[in-house]
Amino acid sequence: MIKVIEKTDSRFPGLLKEIVDPPLRLYYHGEWDPELFKDCLAVVGSRHMTSYGRRATEHVVGEVASAGVTIVSGFMYGIDVAAHKAALEAGGRTIAVMPCGIERIHPEYQKDVYERILENGGLILSEYEGAAMPTYWTYPRRNRIVAGLCKATLVVEAALKSGSLITAELAKTFGRRVFAVPGPITSEVSKGTAKLLKEGASFVSEADDILAFFNQSGSSRNRHKNSKTHTDSDVEQKILEILSRESLEPDVIARTLQMPAAQLGTTLSLMELQGIIKQEGGKYYVN
Amino acid sequence: MLIKVSSALHIGLETVGVDVEINMASRGLPGFDIVGLPSKAVDESKERVRTAILNSQIEFPAQKITVNLAPADIPKEGSFYDLPIAVGILSAVLDFRIPKNTLFFGELSLDGSLRHTKGALLLALFAKEFGYTHLFVPKDSANEAAAIPEITVYPAAHLAEVVEHLAGRYALEPAAVSEAPTLSEGSIAEFDMAEILGQEQAKRAMEIAATGGHNILMIGSPGAGKTMLARALPGILPPLHQIESLEVTKIYSASGNIGVGGGLLSARPFRAPHHSSSLVGIIGGGTRPQPGEISLAHRGVLFLDEFNEFPRSVLEALRQPLEDGYVTIGRALGRVRYPAQFMLVASANPCPCGYLNHPKKPCICSPREIQKYRKRASGPILDRIDLHVEVPAVEIDDLAQERQAVKQGEPSSSIQERIKLARNIQHERFAKDAIQVNAEMKNAHLKQYAHLSSEVERILRQAAKRFQLSARSYFRMQKISRTIADLEGVEDITVAHMAEALQYRPKIHDEE
Repeated sequence: MIKVIEKTDSRFPGLLKEIVDPPLRLYYHGEWDPELFKDCLAVVGSRHMTSYGRRATEHVVGEVASAGVTIVSGFMYGIDVAAHKAALEAGGRTIAVMPCGIERIHPEYQKDVYERILENGGLILSEYEGAAMPTYWTYPRRNRIVAGLCKATLVVEAALKSGSLITAELAKTFGRRVFAVPGPITSEVSKGTAKLLKEGASFVSEADDILAFFNQSGSSRNRHKNSKTHTDSDVEQKILEILSRESLEPDVIARTLQMPAAQLGTTLSLMELQGIIKQEGGKYYVN
Repeated sequence: MLIKVSSALHIGLETVGVDVEINMASRGLPGFDIVGLPSKAVDESKERVRTAILNSQIEFPAQKITVNLAPADIPKEGSFYDLPIAVGILSAVLDFRIPKNTLFFGELSLDGSLRHTKGALLLALFAKEFGYTHLFVPKDSANEAAAIPEITVYPAAHLAEVVEHLAGRYALEPAAVSEAPTLSEGSIAEFDMAEILGQEQAKRAMEIAATGGHNILMIGSPGAGKTMLARALPGILPPLHQIESLEVTKIYSASGNIGVGGGLLSARPFRAPHHSSSLVGIIGGGTRPQPGEISLAHRGVLFLDEFNEFPRSVLEALRQPLEDGYVTIGRALGRVRYPAQFMLVASANPCPCGYLNHPKKPCICSPREIQKYRKRASGPILDRIDLHVEVPAVEIDDLAQERQAVKQGEPSSSIQERIKLARNIQHERFAKDAIQVNAEMKNAHLKQYAHLSSEVERILRQAAKRFQLSARSYFRMQKISRTIADLEGVEDITVAHMAEALQYRPKIHDEE
């Protein structure tokens, strides 16, 4: 059965009607709940997400979603899907806007996320019917829907020439708020967000920066995470101190602490087993 | 007149005795024929023998000469029947007796001199086993044969020397028993571990791998130092001990990989085939099966750089030898078994472009591409690799700055000393078992030699749950912790040993 909402339908999202060229109709999968469109935050960012980008997304988006804000994104790999996942993990609802026909899952290998979005009361949207392939011009067209649905757009990691910046530009044109997460100035995928911040985007370092805009306050559930972790051992304490500044490879920790690799390996494993620290992409960070 | 000379033929590493029967008939037209399934090289022996005899200033008999290589149903190959045939013919011409219990072996040059011929060591081993006492071999190959002290080896430079010796007019000096040369320290590795800056964890992983003979996979961006680490490995490996040296030299002798005048090998082999090598080149094979890279790496290291670039068929074919320590190659002409107990050192990029998790360069691969790239090495093969270690890209500036801070890295020679001690522990432990190093332990051995206290077991269980370890990696952790304890020289595996072992678990699935 083809599910479709015409622009003329009263249930068609009001914010989306306001943009310059709204889609004439939206095809969808899932249960259409107008409540879903009340408070929407678009989360966009690079496909070539770094581990910093993933952690930043989890850090901010999870809490925003659990406060009841719908997370809208483009279902692409990288920041997009990280945002969808973070929302799902936090028990929030999320909308994926597809650049292809509604019957196609793109990218196909993220099918499990696709299904979880639907199971958790979210929506899959597209302005294209059937199983049309995505093309280079459908991506920016899709981006206008992502930005158009939302009161605000959050950019996590973006390169200087990227779709995420296009989405942010669109949001600005529509008169919506643009948020950006700062990143290391040396990183290619943080140059776009740095540019946005310079041009006046709102600085985000925690969920409250966004929730204040939506007139909501975050649950204190995640708050205790920021409190400092303590351990009994001196060495572990030192490692924690170093890792709380930046995530590092074991080799660098070994050099900083002048510790043999064997002994450090033992300590790191034990700390990881206790869940104090985590490793990703060869680097350790404080959990 | 019928003359019999003893020689042998090699099928893989097996040696079979061959009787070279020479009949010289004075009736009939003069001629020279070889029968008994000779290959082209054997058949051409006629011309070499005839010319070599003439060039030794001896008249070639104008008789009908028939040479039979018995047993007649096994195909003969190689050029080493030249000497037995020539000696047989000349014994009739010059009227001397062929001594009993003596083997002749060697290729003739047209001027009558004897050339280096492959397989001398195998022949000496065969001689020892079947009660032959004397061996005539080319001078250039004598060092190989002289490794077997029970045999008297006569190194001959020229056909005339052999003939004069047998006729009693000249005495060939028997070769002195040769022993494996002692290695001068650090002479075999291209790099010393001390030359590699940073990479503390990877170096430690190399040390553990070298101690227990564990297979190791290094993952890191181009230029991170994976190849350098692998090439430094021979410098920390303990030298071959006597039995191992004989095993390895046999393979090299059979395949003609021992140079002129070479003898027993003492350095562990280090083989680094390119990823375009064929299946036969790596595993071994051919119509007359030759040992492949895995057998040439026996008791040593097989380094597969750019692991994921090797054809899948090659990687899959490694599975059985990795498990069994030998490879059996079946061909129409027969079946050959080559030992292949090697330590696999593999290196791979984290993704097709190579820059995933690189501090400076962005990675341009999609998750799909990364997944596809990693799938090239199948699960079963990765499951046979004990240690997985990440080799992060090191920034030159950082290193230059830190160089002062870091005390100079440990030189290979001192790491090697530690490894030697830990290997001795393993040799004593496995004295009654048919294995040499920890990596070869099967479940029964693990129960007996790598007992885990309840506390250590609890840590391992906890880790298995948190890091989603497979059942196989569970046992791998046990093996590695055994090796780490050996390196420390202690009997009991402690929590610290196990925790360190966990650093080297496969981490790929962590990254979704």
